[in-house]
Formats: sequence, structure tokens, C-alpha cells
Amino acid sequence: MATISRRDFLYGLGSSLGALALTDLQAAEKKAVGPLAPKQTMHDPKAKAVIMLFMEGGPSQADTFDPKPELSRLHLSESKRTAGLAGGKRFYVGSPFKSRKVGNAGIDMSDQWKFLADPEVADELCVYRGCKAESLNHPEALLHMNTGSRLGGDPGLGAWTTYGLGSENQNLPGYVVMTELALPQAGPANWTNGFLPAHYQGTRLRSTGSPILDLKPPKFKSREHQRKALDQLAILNANHAEQHPEHEELNARMESYELAYRMQMSVPGIIDIDSEPEHTQKAYGLERKETSAFGRQCLMARRLVEEGVRFVQIFSGGWDSHDYLEKGHSSRINSVDQPIAALIKDLKNRGMLEDTLVVWTGEFGRTPDNNYRGGVTALGRGHNADAMNMWFAGGGTKRGTMVGATDEIAAAAVEVVHPIRDVHITMLHLLGLDDNKLTYFHAGRYKQLSQFGGELIPELIA
Amino acid sequence: MTRRSLRLSKFHVHHWILAALMSIVAFESTSSFAADQKSVSGQAAANRLFTLKVLPLLKVKCFGCHGIDSEDIRGDYDLMTREKMFKGGESEEPPVVSGKPKDSPLYQAILWDGMEMPPKENDRLTKEETEYFRQWIAAGAPWPSAADQLQIQKREWSVRENEDGVIVNTSGGLADDWTYRRYQPEDTWAFQPVKRPDIPAGAKNPVDAFVAKRLAAAGLQPATDADARTMIRRATYDLIGLPPSPQEIDEFNKAWSQDAQQAWSNLVDRLLKNDHYGERQAQHWLDIVRYADTSGFSNDYERSNAWRYRDYVIRSFNKDKPFNEFAMEQIAGDELRPDDPEALIATGLLRMGPWGTQMIPQKESRQIYLDDLVHNVGQAFLSMPMRCCKCHDHKFDPLPTKDYYRMYAAFATTQPAERQAGFLPAENRNSFAEKRELVRELLDYATSEQAKIQNKQEAAAKKWYEEHDLPYKNENARKKDTEEKKPPRHVGLTYEEKGMKKVREQDVWIWARRMERYLPMAQAVYNGQDDFKNGRKLREPKQINKQWRPENFILAGGSLEAPLESVKPGVLSAAGLPINQDGDSPFQITDALNGRRLAFAKWITDDRNPLTARSFVNRIWQSHFGIGLVKTANSFGAKGSKPSHPELLDWLTSDFIEHGWKIKRLHRLIMSSATYRRSAKPANTKTQTTVDPDNKLLASFPSRRLTAEELRDSALLVSGELNREMGGVPIMPEINLEVALQPRMIQFSIAPAHQPSRTPAERNRRTIYAYRVRGQADPFLEIMNQPNPNESCEIRDSASVSPQAFTLMNSDVMTDRSIGFALRVQKEQPDDTAEWIRQSVQIAYGRMPTQEEQTSLQDYLKEMQSYHKAHKPEEVKYPTQVTRSLVEEFTGEPFEFIEKLNVYENYVPDAKPWTVDADVRALADVCLLLLNSNEFLYIY
Repeated sequence: MATISRRDFLYGLGSSLGALALTDLQAAEKKAVGPLAPKQTMHDPKAKAVIMLFMEGGPSQADTFDPKPELSRLHLSESKRTAGLAGGKRFYVGSPFKSRKVGNAGIDMSDQWKFLADPEVADELCVYRGCKAESLNHPEALLHMNTGSRLGGDPGLGAWTTYGLGSENQNLPGYVVMTELALPQAGPANWTNGFLPAHYQGTRLRSTGSPILDLKPPKFKSREHQRKALDQLAILNANHAEQHPEHEELNARMESYELAYRMQMSVPGIIDIDSEPEHTQKAYGLERKETSAFGRQCLMARRLVEEGVRFVQIFSGGWDSHDYLEKGHSSRINSVDQPIAALIKDLKNRGMLEDTLVVWTGEFGRTPDNNYRGGVTALGRGHNADAMNMWFAGGGTKRGTMVGATDEIAAAAVEVVHPIRDVHITMLHLLGLDDNKLTYFHAGRYKQLSQFGGELIPELIA
Repeated sequence: MTRRSLRLSKFHVHHWILAALMSIVAFESTSSFAADQKSVSGQAAANRLFTLKVLPLLKVKCFGCHGIDSEDIRGDYDLMTREKMFKGGESEEPPVVSGKPKDSPLYQAILWDGMEMPPKENDRLTKEETEYFRQWIAAGAPWPSAADQLQIQKREWSVRENEDGVIVNTSGGLADDWTYRRYQPEDTWAFQPVKRPDIPAGAKNPVDAFVAKRLAAAGLQPATDADARTMIRRATYDLIGLPPSPQEIDEFNKAWSQDAQQAWSNLVDRLLKNDHYGERQAQHWLDIVRYADTSGFSNDYERSNAWRYRDYVIRSFNKDKPFNEFAMEQIAGDELRPDDPEALIATGLLRMGPWGTQMIPQKESRQIYLDDLVHNVGQAFLSMPMRCCKCHDHKFDPLPTKDYYRMYAAFATTQPAERQAGFLPAENRNSFAEKRELVRELLDYATSEQAKIQNKQEAAAKKWYEEHDLPYKNENARKKDTEEKKPPRHVGLTYEEKGMKKVREQDVWIWARRMERYLPMAQAVYNGQDDFKNGRKLREPKQINKQWRPENFILAGGSLEAPLESVKPGVLSAAGLPINQDGDSPFQITDALNGRRLAFAKWITDDRNPLTARSFVNRIWQSHFGIGLVKTANSFGAKGSKPSHPELLDWLTSDFIEHGWKIKRLHRLIMSSATYRRSAKPANTKTQTTVDPDNKLLASFPSRRLTAEELRDSALLVSGELNREMGGVPIMPEINLEVALQPRMIQFSIAPAHQPSRTPAERNRRTIYAYRVRGQADPFLEIMNQPNPNESCEIRDSASVSPQAFTLMNSDVMTDRSIGFALRVQKEQPDDTAEWIRQSVQIAYGRMPTQEEQTSLQDYLKEMQSYHKAHKPEEVKYPTQVTRSLVEEFTGEPFEFIEKLNVYENYVPDAKPWTVDADVRALADVCLLLLNSNEFLYIY
């Protein structure tokens, strides 16, 4: 034992990560140092990183970015639509909000968006109104948008992305998820590694308490205490490894402890947004009660991407306005409007927007009409899988455009209509990945994010 | 290499005729068709090649985008006729040059040379397939008439076996091309009858004989025998999932030195008789069938009696119930022995999948339930995942979609419900009254909180009716009144109260459901008509319509909207095991309301079924060697792995069947082999990793990491805290407190917090008894690769990721174990710190420390003693309630409410850092390192 020093042992014996399943893609990447080492793209990428802003509950297209005057005309008149689930008498619901065209590009926006309407921000947006979801139920629809499969158990978008591209910073997780205090429906299945190796699962940066579970030892153990413990553990493990030179996994496991130790330093640094200048904190709305939570997460997202994190996802809950649409949606929009606008400006000013793809979406759209709830005229909207709206900014998407359209009451997508998988394929494409080639052999077939392939949405790409 | 530019539209790169670059490479011939090559020059042979090889490939791989939909032809290139194929599409270049494959862009594209067609990895042509095209083009690319094609096909179909493979008899696909397609025999190995091969000469144990044969062929030297300590640890973990105690190791060492053979077989016998055996084996089975205590989906409703199925599985393994009987009970226990609660509980298998009815049309949720049964029964018992042939005839296996829907029909009268099933003497009902009382308190609290809000609303409603001069009606009675005739919804309530109303309503039924844990009910099934179902509460209907027969169809693309021909219940035809002598429908089973599953189960458990026993024998093998003889334990199809030792698998299977499907006997047989008793150290590491890098040939024993459950159980065992009590309602371990209290969204509210069981004895039990919630994993187990219960897990992952280090070094759970461990050691030797080190190492590793380890750990202990004298931990208090905040669904306004955590009102914590002195904390640091070390985590 005396002939091998601890550091020799940790770094000298190569860095194989033994437990990886060998698939085609990985076989080609054997030279890479670890599973998260940066990998070659499949074609020239437009985007290097993704920030996905997920409005859980299903934001209403007609009350955000797809205004429909016809709906106001029909307000409270009887609806004969039969789509969707709710039975019984139905009536149309006009938008409680006014709409206007903003920026030089004339993007449609309800008047609740005050910060996003700033031309400097609005002209960066590429609003897409042609997407069709499939499920009417929150968890399945969330899983569909986040993993490409309604059933759960498939890898999340960020898992596929880090599997394909690795990550630029080995001291931070490559795929970071931030949620509200309550997890979204279907929970961690939204950011699971699924059948991909565990290295690709999303790491949740928690908004309160420890940012990563058990990141730090209990308070009565200091950092020096931890260092000593790890050194002593390395001695135990080195003795053991000497007995088992045939066993490669031992190195990987020892390395994971050292990486953990480095992460203990790097993670708190990243999330310490107090170190940001006051004007930045203010811009993101940190001093406003309504916006501080989402604002912190948006600011964190920028810092993470700046440090080389590949995929950041932030969930905002409460968009499921079956009733009291006016109050519900205005309060939700108010909570994200300023932070999102600040994020886009900030990315732009730092020259990061060009290669950072920002995506704003929910799991499905909402209906133009509503049913009587509890026998009462409820001014809200049901779930709608036939129409929704989402938007992109940066990362090689077309600036200042509106792509696709819904019918005159925003009930169904009618132009540039694509299923969710095509949105996924387009996102991968922007990242320099080809959905048909980004495959993993599992359970008898090559699995891919889109399940069975699909097409690009060229209209979204600059 | 020539390069030619074609016109390119940027977004149609995958439309092959528009490729930017095409390169041509020299062709290498390796085709199995090579023998035919001379005759291919003849017109007849070329016609045959086209009809049997090229056209079917065109149909499957190309026509989808280049022909079938005349409205949408990619690249404007239609391949449906020879004329169109030669003419080409948007490209100006002729795609096929007769006689010149190398000059034909079509041929280059299917080689994925420059152009890549078909564009998907899954559809890519094999070398052999591209060779058909090459030969066909070289022979002038003839395209015989439909009549000629038919003649060629008929001649071909009349020959069962030729150089292209074997036609497998099935009930037939949607098209003749599929029905008469040929399989390579090695791809359908699992469907072929189990043979009993001769045991190769040269070894006493049959396992060794077969293994030695392949080792010799590969020129590999087997590793030496493992030593006694390695063997007792390996066997104890494999069979009971726990480490041996130092005393057991000691005794075994002694016995081994006297008579190793005898000591070994005594050990295996002792372990097979140990009741923990059932727990360990059940864990494997529950992985496969996706055990959980909740239903998943938006509400994650509790399945209050699922625990009885878990205990049934444990009991079955302990009793050494023959596997065929075990399988039969789980698929059709209710039909087999309708009055036996045990048999009813067994059908819990059919209730294991995640399933819900919320916001899904009833017809669809019914389809989801049946699809799940078909796929998972196929996967669990037959190692045949069935999902692939839901939408079409199977692409690679002889599974026509008709057989999928026959199996679907076999389950089509099966309905999920909680059914009455009296408690059995074997079931653990300890402290039911006490546990129920804790639930009762929460139910009462929720009920009274709900009543407060309801009363306030109704008081306001009464006032409204008075003001409007109308007679009062309660909330239900006025539901259908028009809006002018009743008070507004939620009258008199603030928005907080509106939100709270929903929360408390939800709480009431959550706790009401949980009370059912203590009732003699089982998550089971019955046979009956389709009727309206709410996943929250599933009960048998008052009346069963005995005349009811569901009509089942092949569903095109799996869509309920696209029924094709109707199908009757049946079994998988490719297994070649007919159910009856009826010439027309030998694979059909009864289509009565009752008895479908029983007939299906009889077929599954028939001694002649080639899949069932093979599947299970392979799983038992995997439980010993980490990887099965077939690596893909859930998938024996053409795209799964091939058996590494096909003869051994068959021999073990036939032996298993012959001896009554007895599982313990199979363990004995495997464990008595020299193969199982080899050292993990290869005789020559370099040679072995070169010749057999995945150790498929088993020249040495494959080491493995402890599973999540083994790790938690072992930590509890060495710390002396493990309560070995078996069975009963789910236990609640202590989990990370932040996660335990973190709000978790369900449809209208927040799910109840995870409250640990009240006393250490109640919660520090084996992990298999821990409450398994689909919507919230125990973070400790999850990080150590406990699988997601939504999908069947055929093999555990053990990737090392950094968050594991956080959990194992820093979590309260591990800190508590290390304190418990230290207390145990210190209690045995109060003052002798050198003895502390010796004891801890011996307990954790089952051996004495080396002199170096002793010195090094003693120094570390000393350092930590002085550290902890200077660092006092603060006490952490448990909360007895938590304030929840939620965004009110209707208004988008946040509101708060109180959730009671009544378990903490009278909680008995484990030993904590602040309840012990600095010496114990220092020793606990040593113990924590031992629990983190590789020697503790790996089994050799």
C-alpha cells in the first residue's frame, strides 16, 4: 500500500466508469473522460444550452399570445363543441384581457404581459401556435412534453440532451431542474434519466433548504472534518482496491466522492445570487413578493448556463384556470413576466442569447369555452390538446415571428400544425443533435426522444 | 471517391433523393445470398429475388414515405412501380441505373453513404439487405407482374425451411408477407421446445460441465475457488439479502476447515430455510411486477391492501411454492379457488400497474388497463414484452397482432376491484388497533375542518335563500337549480376557504381510504361487465351481468377507433402449444365470462410451454450471477440477447420442470456448482478481459454492488437496529426530512407528508416493507438505484453518481445508522478504543482489521474525539404540524393551511448526535466510513 499515494490512486488509475451500458453512441465515445464529458455534436449547433420555462397547468393561448376577438363576441353564448371531456351545457368565454401588438415585429400579447412587451424583449420571441398535444390529463401531458412519452419512465429532454452533448462543467450537474415548493404533477418522472444511465438524470436544485439533498454534512461537521473523512475513506478503499485490482468500478465510486466534494464548493457559489449587483437583482424582480421566487430561479438559470450547465428547466405552477380565469391568469402572468423579460435581456446583453435556447410552454392549451361548474357559470377554460401556444427565444430560432395559427376561436391548431415530437426534434436539431441518430438501445429497439421519428419545424428556425 | 452535388432544400435532408453529397465506396461481398449469385444473372432468379427480398423491404422500409400516401410523397419520389422508381423525384438524376448499382443513388442511399435512407436508426437496412438491392440492380432490376409475383410467393411459402430461414406457424399476420416470413432459428430460440441436452463429460455438476465446455473452447482458465469468508458472504446476500454475522462467519470457517463440501451444503440449506429468504426473493419478483402501494397518475390514490400481495409473494417463496402454481394463482387465483383469500390476494399482480381514470375517457382508461396487463403478464411470465405488437404484427418476433388481441380478450372480462378477503393466520396484524388510531385522528381532524367550512358556506346559503324568499336546499339538492334560484358557488367563503374546502374534502377520502388497510380487503379482480370506474374507489358492482361478453377486435395502430377483424380469447400461437384439437382455432380459449384467465394461466404453466420455465430459471440464475444466461431477462425475442449457454439454460429448465418447478432445488443446484464458488479474481485478468470482457463465460465470479434495499437493511443490521419482524401494513422509515415535508401536488391538493412510523422498532424493519409511493420515492433508495415502479425492472442499475456520496456521507439516515453502530460497539467494549476499532471492522467487514488499518483508524478516531469535544451538535426538533401553501385553483391566489403531523406528538426517535457524547460521535465517524467503503458495498 505504501507505494501508492492517495492522489495517485484517485487520479492515476484511469477514470473508467465501469457500470455504463455499452451502446453504439457510447462505444463511439469511449475516448471521453466520463459520461458527462462534452461530446461532438452531430451537425453545426445553433444552441449550446437550453432554459425551459414550464408553465404547469396549461396556460391559455387565447389569454396570452393568441388573442381571438371572435371569442369576445361569442362570450357567454352557448357552445355546441363536443371536444374534450366535460359533458353538459357549455358556453363560450371571451378573454378578460385586452390584446395588442408589441415591438417592431408586432407580436400579439395580452395586456397582462407588461415587461415582455418591451420591444427589446418582444422582438426576440418566436411564438408558435401550431402545436398539438395528445393528453387531456396533467400528468400524462406533462410527461409527454418533458419526456416525449405519455406513459412515464422515458428519459427527460435534458437527459437526452446531456446524453448527446455531455456538459461543459464537470463540477456541476449537466441537467438542472427548479420547481416551486410543490413538485409538478408526475413529479421527478418529468426529469428522469429513464432507461439512460443514471448520470443523465435531472438534478433538482431546491428552492429552500439544501439546494441538493444532503449536499453538506450535518452542521456539527465542518468542511475540514469532511476532507479528513474523505482522506480516511480513501485509505480504506485503497486497501480494498489493492485486493481487487480486477474490479474497475471501485475507481469510479471513489471518484464520485471527490466530485461530490468539489460540488459542495461549486454549487453554493452558483446559487449565491446575493453576489449579483443590486440592479440585476432588481431587474429580475427579486424585491417584489410576487416575482421573487421565479425571479431567483431565472437568475440562477442564467448563472448555471454561464457556468456551462447544458439544460435548465424551471417550473411555474398554478396555470390550470378552470374558473376565475381573469384573476388566475393575471396573477400567474404577473409572477413570471418581469423575471422572464429580465432573463432574456440579461442573456442578450451578455451575448448568451445567441446560443441559449429559451423555451416557454405548458403541457397543453385551453378551450375557448367552459362547462357549468357546480351548476354555476364559471369563467374559466378546460384542458385542450388540440391547440396551445409556446414561444422560443434565442438559440437559433427566428426572431420576432409568429408561426402557425389556430382557428378563429383558438380551439384547434390549423396552420403549421405539428405534434409535440416535432417540437422536440426541432429543439434537438438546434442543439446539433439528430433525433434519428440520438438513440439508445433498450428493450429490444433503438429508443429515441420522438419515439418513432417525426419532422423538423423549419418555420421556427432562423 | 466521386462527389456529386444535388439540389438541396435545407429542411429535407432526410428526403433521400435530395441529398447533398453522395459518395461511392467499394462493395464488399459477405452475403448469404452469395451462393445464388450466379443464378441471379438469370431472369427467373432475379424475379425471385425481387419478389421475396427487394419488394418486401420496399414495402416495409420505403413505401411509407415514398408511395402509399399519394398526397404526401417525400421528395416527390414514388417507389411503387418500376417506372416511377427509375424516373425519380425532385432530383434530376436517375435514381436507379439498370445493371449498375454503384451508379445508382438509391443503392448508395440505403448504404447510408452520404445520403441516409431510410433515415431512422431502427429502420436501417442490414448489409445483407442492401446486398439484395445490389444484386437486383445488377441483374437489370426486373419487376415481375403481380401474377408472377404471386406464383413465386406460393412456391416459396410451400417450403417450410430453406437457406433463408424457417417459417414459424402462427395464427397469421395482417398480410401474407408477414405470415410467411422466415426467421433465423437462433432468433426464435425461445419459442422452440425445451430440449434436454446431454451433459458434457468431465464435471460432476451439470452446471460446471456446460460452463467448462465453453471456457475450454475460449481457452480460458477458470479462477480458483473463493475462500470461506467470501463464500458465506456471497451466499448469505444472494439468498437472504443480508450479511452474515461475525459469529456465523466464525462457525462456518471452522466447519469449512473440517469438511468444506459439507459445510457449504449445510450453509445453503440453512439459508434456504431462513424466513428472510422469502423477503430477498420477493424483492426480485416485485421489481418485475412493479410493486407499489399507490396507483400513480394524477392522484396517486392509495392501494390500501397491496401489502397483502407483497406478503403473499414472500410467503410463497418461503413455502417453496412451485413456480407454476405461483404463476397460476397470480393470474387466475380467483377463478382457481374462489373462496380462498390467499388466491384472491394473489391476483394483486393484476393490480400492480400504475392506472387512473381521472380526465381520461372511460373507454380509453379501460384500454390502458388491459394493454398494461397484456404487456406485463407477457413480460413477467414469458419474457415477451407485448407492447410492440399492439399496433402491428411484431417486426422481429413471430407475434402477430392477432395474438396480442387474443391475449387482450383473455383479460377483457377482468375488472379491478377491492374485494373482501378474510385475514389469514399467517398475516401479520400486530398493533393494528394502535396504527389505525393514528389514521383515525387524521381523519377526524380533516372531517371537522371540512365541516367548519361547509357550515360557514351553508349558513351563508341559508341567508341567501332567506333574502331571496326561497326555501333552503343543501348543496347537493340545489346542484341542478338554475343560477337565479340558488346562491353563488362557494357563497360566504373567502378564497382561502374555497381552496381549503377542496383540500379538506380530499384529506377526508385519503384518510378514509387508509383506514381500509386494516379491513379484510384485497386489491384484486373479478369477472364482469365494463362499467363506470373511478380509480379512487373500485368495488364490485351489485349485479354482475352473466350474459355479458365483450367484443374484441384487432385494433389497427392500437386505436379504439380503428377495429379490424374480431378476435376471441386465446394464447400465443408461436409457442406451438395448442389449447384444443380444434383444427380451425387450436389457440383459442373459452369466451365465457369466467374462466378465460384460468385457461390462459394453464397454458402459461403447461410443462410444454417453451417460454415460462425458461424465463424464470433465467431469473434465478441472474439472482446469483448478476446477469442471466440471457442478459435481457424480460425479453427473449429476436432483439433481446441470445443465451450465453443455451444448452445449460435448457438443461436447467427441463430439470426444473421435471422436478415440479421447485425453486429452492434450483438454488441448490446452481450454488453447488464450482462455477458459483469461483473467486472473483480471474486466473489471468488480462487474458480474461481481452477474450471475454463481459465475463459471459463465467471464468470468474462477477462481483456486484449492494442494491438499495440491501444497503439500508445491512446498515440497520450492523448497527444493531434491525427489527426482523415480517409482513404487515407498510412501514414508514425515516427519510430525509426536507423530502418528507416537501409538498407534493396531487390533483386538487397536496398529498399528505411522509410521517415515519412512531417507534424505532416499527420503522427500522426491512426495506421491502417500506411504503412504496409512486409519486414520491424514498430519496435514499432512489439515489442508490431503486427502480421506478412504473416500469418492470429486469436488472438493477448500479451506476456510481456523486449524489450517492452526499446521501451516504451526509444524510441524517446514515448519520443515525453510524451512531447506532457506534453505540452497539461501545456497549460491548465500553473503554477499550482499540477494541472499538477491531469490533467495528469485524462487524462491517466480517474480518479483523489489518495492523495498518487498526493503526490508521485508531489515529483517526483519536483525532475525531478531540474534534467532537469541541463541536457540539444542535438538537433538531420534529415538527408536529406543517403550514402548507397552495395556489388556489380558481383565483391563482396563494393560501395557507395546516397539516397535522400527529406521529411526531408522541415520537420515539433513534439515537441522535445530540443524545450521545463526543466519544460516540467520534466512533460513529469511523463507523460511517466503514458503511461508505467499497468493501462494505461490494459482494465478491
